[in-house]
Order: sequence, then C-alpha cells, then structure tokens
Amino acid sequence: MANENILIIGGGPTGLEAARGIADLGYKAILVEKREILGGTPEASGYAALTPDMRDAGEAMQEMRDAVENNPNVEIMLNTEVTGSTGSTGDFKVSANTGGKDITIEAGAVIIATGFTHFDPGRETQKYGYYEHDDVVTLVDAEKLLKSGNFVRPSTGEKPKRVAFIQCVGSRDRQIGNEYCSKVCCGISSKQAIEIREMLPDCKVFIFYIDMRMYGYWENEIYWPAQEKHKVNYIKGMATEIIKKGDTLIVKGEDTTMRRPMEVPMDMVILAVGMEPSAGTIAVADIFGVHKNKYKFIETIGGALNTVSTNVEGVMAAGACTGPSDLEDCISAAGAAAMKSIAAVRRVAVPA
Amino acid sequence: MPIDKKQIIEKEMAVVDGIELGPDWNRMFEQRVIFDYNTDTLDKVRDLEGAESIGACYQCGQCIPVCPVDAVGEYGPMRVFSDLLRGKDLFESDELWKCTTCMNCLRVCPKEVDMIKIMPAVREEAVMEGNVPDELQEAFENTFEYGNPLGESQRKRADWITETNSEVPLMKDKKEADLLWFVECYPAYHGRGKETSRDMATILNTLKADFGVLGTEEKCSCDSQRLAGEVGLFEEFAEQNIKTFSKYKFKQMLVTDPHALNALRKEYPKHGGEYDVIHYTTYLAPLMDKLNMTNKLDYKVTFHDPCYLGRHNGEYEAPRKILDAIPGVELVEMGRCKEQSYCCGGGGGGMWLDGFMSDHVNERLSENRVKEAVETGADLLVVCCPYEISRFEDAVKSTGNEGKLAVKDIAELIVEAMG
Repeated sequence: MANENILIIGGGPTGLEAARGIADLGYKAILVEKREILGGTPEASGYAALTPDMRDAGEAMQEMRDAVENNPNVEIMLNTEVTGSTGSTGDFKVSANTGGKDITIEAGAVIIATGFTHFDPGRETQKYGYYEHDDVVTLVDAEKLLKSGNFVRPSTGEKPKRVAFIQCVGSRDRQIGNEYCSKVCCGISSKQAIEIREMLPDCKVFIFYIDMRMYGYWENEIYWPAQEKHKVNYIKGMATEIIKKGDTLIVKGEDTTMRRPMEVPMDMVILAVGMEPSAGTIAVADIFGVHKNKYKFIETIGGALNTVSTNVEGVMAAGACTGPSDLEDCISAAGAAAMKSIAAVRRVAVPA
Repeated sequence: MPIDKKQIIEKEMAVVDGIELGPDWNRMFEQRVIFDYNTDTLDKVRDLEGAESIGACYQCGQCIPVCPVDAVGEYGPMRVFSDLLRGKDLFESDELWKCTTCMNCLRVCPKEVDMIKIMPAVREEAVMEGNVPDELQEAFENTFEYGNPLGESQRKRADWITETNSEVPLMKDKKEADLLWFVECYPAYHGRGKETSRDMATILNTLKADFGVLGTEEKCSCDSQRLAGEVGLFEEFAEQNIKTFSKYKFKQMLVTDPHALNALRKEYPKHGGEYDVIHYTTYLAPLMDKLNMTNKLDYKVTFHDPCYLGRHNGEYEAPRKILDAIPGVELVEMGRCKEQSYCCGGGGGGMWLDGFMSDHVNERLSENRVKEAVETGADLLVVCCPYEISRFEDAVKSTGNEGKLAVKDIAELIVEAMG
C-alpha cells in the first residue's frame, strides 16, 4: 500500500502554503521545520512589511501559520532536521532528528522548501566596510530597524539625514560567483526607501543602481510611488567604496549618467544584499540526491513548463531554494508543488 | 566628461629648476568638481504647483532626441532633471530659459513629465527674484507698458486696418457679430504680420463673414509671457481682455495666432472667460470651395506645423486641406511634420530670447528648420503662425537661402489664388 502523505521540508511561506494546499485537497502534510517557529526567513529576519503590498510581515506570517496549526490534515514538527532518505515515490523513509531524537518519517512524496540566505556583504569585492562601519548596514538590518519603529544610525542612535542604498550587493557578479540577479532587492530597497521617507520626512534617500529591475506591477506599485510621491532619488551609477570621514560616510563611485565621479556624504548606507541558497537547501539537496545548479540552488528540470519537479522522482522543490524568488513566486510554486506531489503519490497508489 | 577649458591651468612660461617650460609642458588641470547631490533645489522645484512632475523623470532620455533645442545644442528635460538631482540651481541657471515649450518631449514621455507646466512654474519664481534674461525682461516691460511685447503704441494697434482696402468693422461700432476676430500683437503690428491680417480681412469679406475686431481695445493674450514666467502679467491681461469681450455679443472667436488660441481656449476659462475659439485655418478649411480661386499657382510648398496649433491643440489637417484646395499647389512634407514637427524657436518666450539663445546653440532653431525646408526642394515654406513668418524669413537670409526659399502665410497664398 503506497504512502500518500506528503513531507514538506521547511516552514517558511513556501512550506506553509504547500501544507495548506495539500490539506485543502484532503491529503496529509507533514511539515518539518529546523527552527522552533514557523514563518521562515520573514519571521526569523524580522521583516517589517512585505513587498510589494506593504502588508505587515508578522501579521501575514501569522495568517499563514493559522492555516496549518490545528489543521487536522497537517502534522507540524518543529526543531526537526532531516538527516537521510531512502526509498522512492510512494515509499520514502526519511530519517530526521527532532529535538535530539532520531526518528523516521514515512511519506509518499517530498517537497523541499528550504529557502535562501542573505548574501554576506563581507564577501563583496567592493570595499563597503560592512564589518568596519557601524552605519553601513544591510537590507536585513534596515528591515529590523524599520520594524522597531525607530530608524536611527547605529553609531549614534540619531536619526539619519541622508541615507543611501547600494544595489546589487552580492548579485550579478562573476567574481563573487553569483551571476544571477537576486530579483527582489530593487523592490525591497525602494519599499524601505518609502518607509524611511514616511518615518523621517526630513531624511533624503538616494538609491545608487546599475539597472532598476522592477518588473511587472512592481514598477507602478513601488518604483513610481517611491520616486513620484515619496521623492526618493535614483542615481544611476554604483558605489565602489565607502570611506569614513569623521562622522560621515563618503560613498565613492561613478555617476554614469553624467559620466563623472561622485563622492557623496551619507549618514547611513544600506547594502541591498542578494539571495544565496541556505545551508539547509544545500544539505537537503544532497540528502535526496537532487541536482544543484552552479550557484548551489536546487535545479528544477522542467524549464518554464514545470518549475517544481527535480531529477528525483517524487521530490519537488519550491520557492527560494530553487533560486531568487519573491513572495509571489514562492506562493505560486508552493501551489504547483502541492499539486505535483499529490499527482505523484496518486500515480503510484492508483495506477492508470 | 570633457574637461572645461576653465579647468585648464597653463602659464606662458614656467621655469622649473632653471629649465624653461612652455604652456604645453606646464599645463595642469583643476580638480574636477564633486557634487554632494544636494536636492534642495530639486525639492523646491517639485514642491511648486505645476512643477511636481519633474520628480517623476526616470531618465530614460527619450525626450532628448525630440527636443528641438538639443538638435542645435545640448538640452532636454532629462538633462534638466539630471542636473537638478545633482544639485544645480535651476532658478539661477541659463537652462531655465532654453525651453520653447514646444511639447515634443511630453508627447513621448512615458512618465508624463510636463515641461509645459514645469517651465512657467519655475520661471515665475525666477521672475519674482529678478533672474530674467534682459531681452525677455524688455518684452515683459513692453507688454506691461504698451499692451504688446513689441513696444508699439496701443493707439496704433488698429492702424493696419487703415492700410487695407477691405472693410474691417470694429466691435465697438457693431456690438454684435458672428465672429470676434482676435488679431493679436504680431499680426497687428509687425510688417509681415500686417500683410497677413490684410489678406485675412480680404478672405473674410469674400466669404461675407459677419465679423468684427477689437481694434485698440485688444490687448496681448500674453500666452508666451505666461509660459516665460510672467504669470501675473498674463492674469492681469486676461482679466482686461475678458472684460472687453464681455461688452460684445459674438458666437465664435477667430484667432490668427496659435499662441492666442492656446491662451483663449485653455487658460482664459480658468479666469472666467469661456469661448468657442477657432484658429483661422480650422475656420477656413471647410469654406475653401466658397472662395473663387481662379488663379492657378505654380508652387511646390512645404508646410511648418506650429507647435501651438498642432501638438498643443491637435490641429494638423485644416492647413493641409487648405493647401490641397488651392489650385496649383503641390505639398511636399518635411521629415519632421505633424506630431513630430520641429519648433521655430519662438514659443515659451523664445521669441524674445534670440540673443540669449545664440550663446547656447550652434544655429537658431529657425535656421535648422529652414534648412530642412530647403532640402525638400520646395520653393515656398508655408506657415500659419505669426511668429514664424519673421523668424523663418530671417533664417532664410542667414542661411544663405535667399531666392531659393520664400516664406508665406497660408492666407497670403489663398489671396494670391483668388487673383
């Protein structure tokens, strides 16, 4: 008798949505999460508002949790890490460690939703001085400051008068090895710029960029309001280094529109760090024998027509473990993975 | 970025360790200026009523290739925004006066950055601060003092009528007419403008139109002064003209000048003066078969779309219908025609900034346009805006095309065909 339960690894937005979908379709989802709380990176990194709709991140994650907690069709296992796997579709035996105890989880199919991690700006080839200058922070740090409702310079605790975002930190860079665009940073920077302008109307906000990549509705929902309504200043041209001069950070770069060098004083610089595969993604991919691409994100095999199937039958991958994704991508992929995983177990249980 | 000549430091002779070094060898360069991206002026501009849209520019640059000033120099809305973003004080910059408000940029702008509203708003501030090019200031003062930018006496505004054989009734005698003909300053005072006005009167009389003019009661519509920043002057003159209009009964207002058309149609309603305003080409186009044009002409012509008739007020067909109806006239279009029409340089105050502009462009806009007209092989450049006839005739001379290309108002051509 084939096992029809679906194991979901990762309790972020993708895993939560996949679990909800599977439960809604009348199947059982087993949701394992390494951390002690569901909600993934938005929860763990303390996101303030979601992009692009500016919805309170905590509230949105709570809504996602509510859909699976106390759901009779969802079994949640927190503090649980997958350690090994044998078997195939309809008969996976996945070993895991839950709260220090080794267990075996039986499932018919698996959805990997282990997500991403933020790029560590210490690896950037440009000299941004993230670890040297208190007032050089990342999008993640800025998100926390925004969530606290007190957006201040870490060095002084005072409100900044000039803030700069530097785009593409850790993305689109052959030397670093991340040749891809991280897709979400332009939108998130612009979203944060709006939040800063709303919180500190006297603070000037600049975004230094190579290309602004605000595809689809992000253009009119984030980029245009940021510039037109919130007066965020976009300057084409990247900063190459940040030098501390007294109390001020001097952002040095080339203004490519004007074809001239710039040295711009700032109180705070926010590095728009991109996405990389999380340690969990790399480990879980290896456990299941799932192929990774050269950036170590999980490779899906169907091209544009199948965004969740992997080289291992019965194992799907969804969300940011497959590459840079925004929340909309994650939720869509979660639905596709839920559907494909159920189809996989049904093919074994009810052969054509 | 090219090095500004002012940044080059050379001595005729420098002596270093007893060795004489000429200018080529002692040349030094000043350090390039680094801006700190002070957005105070940008903020001041985008806070002005009407100028808000400057902040929407995402610097795609689509406005630059269609900017008529860029064709003869370096200019365009994107550059204005770019400079503002980098701390340039537009209020004190020459860049403020280069725009002719021709509207070609707005036609292509994906973000609807509206220089037609931005320019007057920013210029108004500069005018209040007294930062106005001298020759423009003179046109403002003339308008204020004499009621027209040419500085002619108000009493002479109707003199062109006495120089015509046609009957031109005055509204103050008639009180009521189907058409109130708003003649405007250049057609009333300028030598070539007056000729067109006389031809227009002939045409109206041939059509047995029931019309009247205001004569010495008429004052400048002031649209170009408004666009050049003298908003106060515009408002005062609008009120005076509206008061004069209110004394008479008329069904339609006929205008010779597209700039007056623009003011009367779009701006006067904001001050309580709502009229059915029509440009003379729009008025004449459907009536051409009523004019007995027995004289077959032999002209190859090209036509210049005025910015304020075409792009600003959407009329491209009427002048072409007229040309089509005149016997013996063959129209060859210039590459830049209709919506893409080039600007003569006279709009938005440009009429009174020729000296100023000559410091910023390698040729006048009118010269650039005349050259294009010559390239078509036409022997006649036909216009229907009173700014153009004098501008283009000057440009024909300055570009050495005298004898090759003549400039005529479309009304002159009609009268010529009427024999």
